[in-house]
Formats: sequence, structure tokens, C-alpha cells
Amino acid sequence: MSASAAEYLARQLPGRHPDLPENTAGTLRLDLRDGARTDHWYLTIDHQEVRVDRLAEEADLVVRADREVFDRIAAGRLNPAAALLRNDLTAQGNLRLLLTLRRLFPGPPEARHPREVARAGGRVGTR
Amino acid sequence: MKQELVNIRAGNAFALSDGQGDMEADPCAPIGLFSFDTRFLSRWVLTLNGERLHALSRDELAYFETRFVLVPGAASHYVDADVSVIRHRSINDSFNERITVLNHSAEPAEFTVRMDIGSDFADTAEILRPEPRQPAVVADAVHQQLRICYQRGRFTRESVVSSTAPAEVDQRGMTFRIRVAPDGTWHTDLHVAMIIRGAEGRDLRSSLESHRQHVHQVMPEDLARWFDHAPQLIAERETLMSAYRQALTDLASLRYMPLSYTERVPVGGLPWAMALYGRDALVTCLETLPFTPELTPATLRLLALLQGGQLDDYHDEEPGKILAELRYGESAAFGEQPTAFYYGAADTTPLFVILLDEYERWTGDVELVRQLRHPARMALDWLDEYGDPYGDGYLRYQPRNTVNGLANQTWRNSPEAIVDRHAVAPPYPRATCELQGYAYDAKIRGARLAREFWGDPGYADRLEAEAARLRERFDRDFWLPHRGYYALAITPDGEPVDALTSHLGHLLWSGIVEPERADALAAHLSGPELFSGWGVRTYATGQRPYNPVGAHLGAVWPSDNALVAAGLRRYGYDAEAAQVAAGILAVAETLGGSVPEVIAGFPREITKYPVQLPEAGRPQSWASGGLLMLLATMLGLRPCGENLLANPYVPDGYGRIELLDVPGRWGRADAYGRDRTTGRRVRVGGAAGQRRTVG
Repeated sequence: MSASAAEYLARQLPGRHPDLPENTAGTLRLDLRDGARTDHWYLTIDHQEVRVDRLAEEADLVVRADREVFDRIAAGRLNPAAALLRNDLTAQGNLRLLLTLRRLFPGPPEARHPREVARAGGRVGTR
Repeated sequence: MKQELVNIRAGNAFALSDGQGDMEADPCAPIGLFSFDTRFLSRWVLTLNGERLHALSRDELAYFETRFVLVPGAASHYVDADVSVIRHRSINDSFNERITVLNHSAEPAEFTVRMDIGSDFADTAEILRPEPRQPAVVADAVHQQLRICYQRGRFTRESVVSSTAPAEVDQRGMTFRIRVAPDGTWHTDLHVAMIIRGAEGRDLRSSLESHRQHVHQVMPEDLARWFDHAPQLIAERETLMSAYRQALTDLASLRYMPLSYTERVPVGGLPWAMALYGRDALVTCLETLPFTPELTPATLRLLALLQGGQLDDYHDEEPGKILAELRYGESAAFGEQPTAFYYGAADTTPLFVILLDEYERWTGDVELVRQLRHPARMALDWLDEYGDPYGDGYLRYQPRNTVNGLANQTWRNSPEAIVDRHAVAPPYPRATCELQGYAYDAKIRGARLAREFWGDPGYADRLEAEAARLRERFDRDFWLPHRGYYALAITPDGEPVDALTSHLGHLLWSGIVEPERADALAAHLSGPELFSGWGVRTYATGQRPYNPVGAHLGAVWPSDNALVAAGLRRYGYDAEAAQVAAGILAVAETLGGSVPEVIAGFPREITKYPVQLPEAGRPQSWASGGLLMLLATMLGLRPCGENLLANPYVPDGYGRIELLDVPGRWGRADAYGRDRTTGRRVRVGGAAGQRRTVG
């Protein structure tokens, strides 16, 4: 069900994101650690467009974590800010962009629209 | 509570102790040293020769600095001490306490000074029953340091206590065996660093020297600047001036800088809410626009950054929704509470739009309105797409997190708050009345922003048409003709929840009320069932759930009353508004110090004194801000084009009030008011007394 972070970054993320404010702009580098290896993904955000490159260059925000942590974020299972609080993820630079990053990844796949919950009627179903 | 608690605070850090300065963990209150929702000291107890001390005096020098003068023994004993101890503490990012021992005898004296030190690293969410944690303790004799460190995975919190004077350090504290000359003194500086590992971009390990400089120079300067920027109040009534100064001090002390941010925003308040709450912050900003408008852009920009982006049941998040609560503690980090980003609030999103518009009216800061166009549009879209689950035009809420989400997602957030006159709770989703008022107001204001600043007249027309339909529908479905007021809520089937509450005042404030209904609402708000003499009760007497000590079922909130009074004036009920303002200000004036966030709903003529609730927060941003809003309401302050308009209606006994240098799009302007009795008192039986208001 859950794609890996690498797949998400390569296939789903690039392109237009109308949910982002037009005036959000910046560069992020995601460093995915996998054992001794680190993969670098470079995100450029400008005017609701996100470009994704495989670059190890300087960025406004550099986010580092194990690949598995990014996989959980990409699957909507982990909020990057909670991961930061746990110290499972470190971030250096403009931390506001971490809040933008949060919005570039999906929410939990089983999440429901309030209309769906209201239509189900009565008290809320249990999780 | 056994006895009075003493706090010092700075941002989201605070130290709460007993009257002696000692801190011992207690389930009733978050006692100890806290920062970022974590308790870094749960034990901090000073003894002299094995004896506890008691305070002769306490000097609260500033909100971030207190000095205790103590002597050994219990308070009941006759005080004839040869020795006294001064504890002088301050807080910013770290905590610092200077302990001075004074030997008053003619002989040299030897003492054993002992500080018991411990930390349980409890999360603010679990003060009642902290998890038993096993922190690692390192007694470092070489550096005269005690390091207490808690780790869970990579999550690390550490308290480092160091002393400038030689100390014997053990696992549970520090001991100083000292000899003090006749009439001599000894002192040590204890420094407590509160370390959050890994949260880079922020170094919480400030040195003693930088702490001292910060507390003795930067913070006083910052406070002076804060007062300098705020308008100056000159009033004949001395107690009103103290209440005003106190409210401004409280607001200054309750600003904090979030981890990912560079500006300060209001936290809820002491002791339970030292964190960002979207609603508290938004309401505080609305209350304080004529006084401290600088709080608003920081708050709006931060809430825009934190705006909901996806559907997430556990966090009650939806795209466009404005945050309810943000915490940094262990339970938030590990998702045991949804508070890392919690969105369980149905009112924050319309309030965001309302504040943005109101801010522009006061300041003329068009740039911010343009910058925040996208988040404001998303907020307005949220009202229809996610806030209206039946598509019938009503804003409703239903927690999707039924484990530890909030049952009631409005300011009345206690689980039993939304009930009818017979204590029956409506099913979900719930449409409370004030939410409809806020949604209406947000659409009207959003339309103005769209037309004047976003160049989108079509969208403005649409919003206005929706607002008009909502207003009409609301009046049809919520109005209770036989009772003469609007229902507290309606059920999913459209049945009214018929309770009489202070929300009538919120409806007036929002402007959704048809003018022909306003007479009845004002009569209810100033009648004996709702008005206690101190203020308007959340929930009126004479209904089964009424409880004078029930937070949302009868108690009186200054923040609630600030909106009620503004609503009354909006519809022209000036005397009724003045009565509310005078009542709440009397609470602050009678109690002295910071106004509590809530008092009991007992009738004033019976208790004579405001009855405080033990769980009430104090100070709280929106309570302190509420006093400022009441003052602005008395003076009838309102931006009108490029000018400040004043239309005073000052309660009897207040004499003359001058508010100088009110900031706004006009630069600075002054406002004056006078009550209607002081002028008249001079002559009785002669010419009619002066009945004048000066605008």
C-alpha cells in the first residue's frame, strides 16, 4: 500500500501543488540515510511548482533522517514535525520550510472526510 | 490547593513553586520548572542545617524574576533568627537562582546548605499521573554539576544544574558546608540549563553570563519597549490604571517564540496552557488591536504556516483548517496525544479571517492582507468544504479522533458544555450558534478583502450572497420565539438545543443578529439569569445543568464577556455594555494582580467578592487581553476610514479616562471619556448635571 519515499519523491511529488501559497519559495535537501549510504533529493519550491532533482547542493533547509523515517512520512504515517521533536529527523536552516514539507506529503490513507463521518450518522465510529 | 503558588515565566518556560520557593511535584498543579511542555525540575527544595525555611517576604521584581527572604523554621514560631537566606531567581531560556546566606550573629557560623534536586521529565499532559521514568543521573564533582538526562530512542531531554561555589554533588542534589563570618554573607549561583537535544537552530544551553545579561538588560528593555509602544492610560480611578498595567505585563510575559519561527506569539497562559492555542491567540489579538497590534501579524503568519494540509482523523485535520493546539512534549512527539499539531477546533478558521480583516481596518497593513491571500482563501473554502458536513450551510463539528480528541471543538471545550436546558447533549455533528455568527462574519469580511485587496469582486459577491443566506436561515432555524433568544445549537435534524447562554453576546458581536431581535438578547444578557453582577455567565441560572462552578455551565469568563460587551455596543446597548465592562473590571480591581481566566457564577450580591475557581488559569492571554478590549469598548474605539473614532460610554464611578497614543493607520491618536455621574455630583437640585461625553 505504501510507496517508498524514493518512489514518492520521484513520481508523485514533482509538479504543481495548488494547495501551497504562491509566495512560498525555497530549496530543501532531503538526506535519506540507508546504512553507510546517503541519498540526496533536492526540492525547489516556487510559485506552487515543486521540482525534484538528485543533487547534493546547499539548500535553505537540509533535512536528515533514516530512509525508513522518510518512508513513514511518505506513507502518511509520520508527521515530519513530530519526527523532529523525537529527534528521528534533524533539520538545519529555515525551519519554516519543514512546515511546507509537511504539506507536500500525504495524510494517513484511512483518513475520512467530515462528510463521510457525518453521513455514517450517530456517534463517531471507532478507529 | 494547599497554599499560594508563585511563578516566574518567560515565553513557554516557567517555574511554579510554593511561597518559599521550593518546588515539589504535585498532581494538582504543574509545579516545577518547565520549558517546551517538559518538566525539567520536579524537585528543588532548599534546607539549612536540615531544616526547611519559611518566607518573611517576597519581592516579585518582574514577571521573570522573584526574590524570597527566608528564615529557618516553621511560620508559627517566633522569628529570632541569627541567619537568613535570600533566594533570587530568574528565568529565560534557562533558570538561575542565587542563594545568599547571611549570618547576623557576632560569631562565625557553620551551616549545611542543601538543595535537593530531581527531575521526572513529565509532559505537561500528564501532571496528574506522571509516567515513572528512569533518568540517568551523573553527579560530576569536578565541574560541580548535576546532570539528569532522560532518553527514549533518540528523544533526549536533559537538566544540567551547576554551581559557582564549591559543592558536594550527589545523585539527589548538592550540599554546601560553609562557614560564614560574623555579619558576613555567602552565596552561590545555581544555573539550570534545559536541554532539548537535536532541535537544532536553537541552543537552549545559555551560559550563566548570558542569562544574567538577558534577564537584567534585554528583558527589562524589552518590557519597557512594550509599554512604550502601548497607549498610555490616564484615569482618575487608580485601580483601573493598575489593572491596565497588569494586563499589559501579563501579555508581555505570555509571548513565546516557536521553534520554527522568528517572532513572538501569545501562549494560552499559566499554568496549564503555556503553549500555542489557535483560539486563545486569535481572540487575544482581536482584543488587543488598539493596544498592541504587533501581536497580530506574527500570529496570523504563524497560523498560516501551520494551516491544515490534509485529512487526518487522529489530528482532526482538514485542508485549510486553522490550528487548535501545538505542543512539544514527549506525548506529542510520540503521538500519544494528538497535540504535535491538533486541529480540533471549528472556530479558529473563521476567526483567522475575521482577525485578518479587523487588523487591516486598524492598521492599514495591506501588504499582510495580500501576503495571506492564499491561506485566507483556503480558510474560507474550508468553511464550505469541510466545516459544513451536511452541505446545508451550517458550520458543524464532530471529532474524528474519539480517543483523545476534543468532544467540543469550540471555546466551550469541556465534554459536557453543550447541553440543552434539561442537560441533554445533542448528537454529532453539532452546530453551535456562535460558530454560525463567526462564519457569517468571516464571509462578510472575506468579501471585503476580496473586493478591496485581492481584485476578486466575483468571489466577494458569492461570499456576500452566502452570508445573506446563512443569516436568513440562522434566524429561521435557531430563533426560539416562545423564549425570545437564539438556541445554543441545533441537532443534525435541525432540532434546537434550547439553552440560554452568553453566546447571545457573540452573536451580537458577529453581526448575524436581525436588529429586531436585539432588544430581547440584550435584556437576557443583562437580566439576572445571565448577569451575575460580575459578568455574564456562560450558562444561565434556572436551567438544570446550571452550576456556578462549572467552567462552561455557569462560570464567568472575562474573555467571553469582552466579546459580549463589544456585541452589545455594536447593536447600541451602551448601558448594558458598560454594566458588563464595569463588572469584569471590578473583578480585576477587587482581586488585584492578573485577572483569572474564569470566576464562579455566584451572584455578586451574595458573595460580595469574586469567587475563584482552583483550576482557573492566571494569568491568561485572552483574559488579560479581555480587560483591554473592555476598556476599548467603554471608549467606543473604532477605526473609521483613516481615523480613530471614539464614542465613549463610561460606567458610573469611573470619572475621566484618557487613552493616549492609540496606534493605528492614523499614526497615533488620543481618546477621552467621562462617566455620567461625576460631573453631576457637584450640584444637586441646581441646573441639570453635565451629561457629556467627550469623543
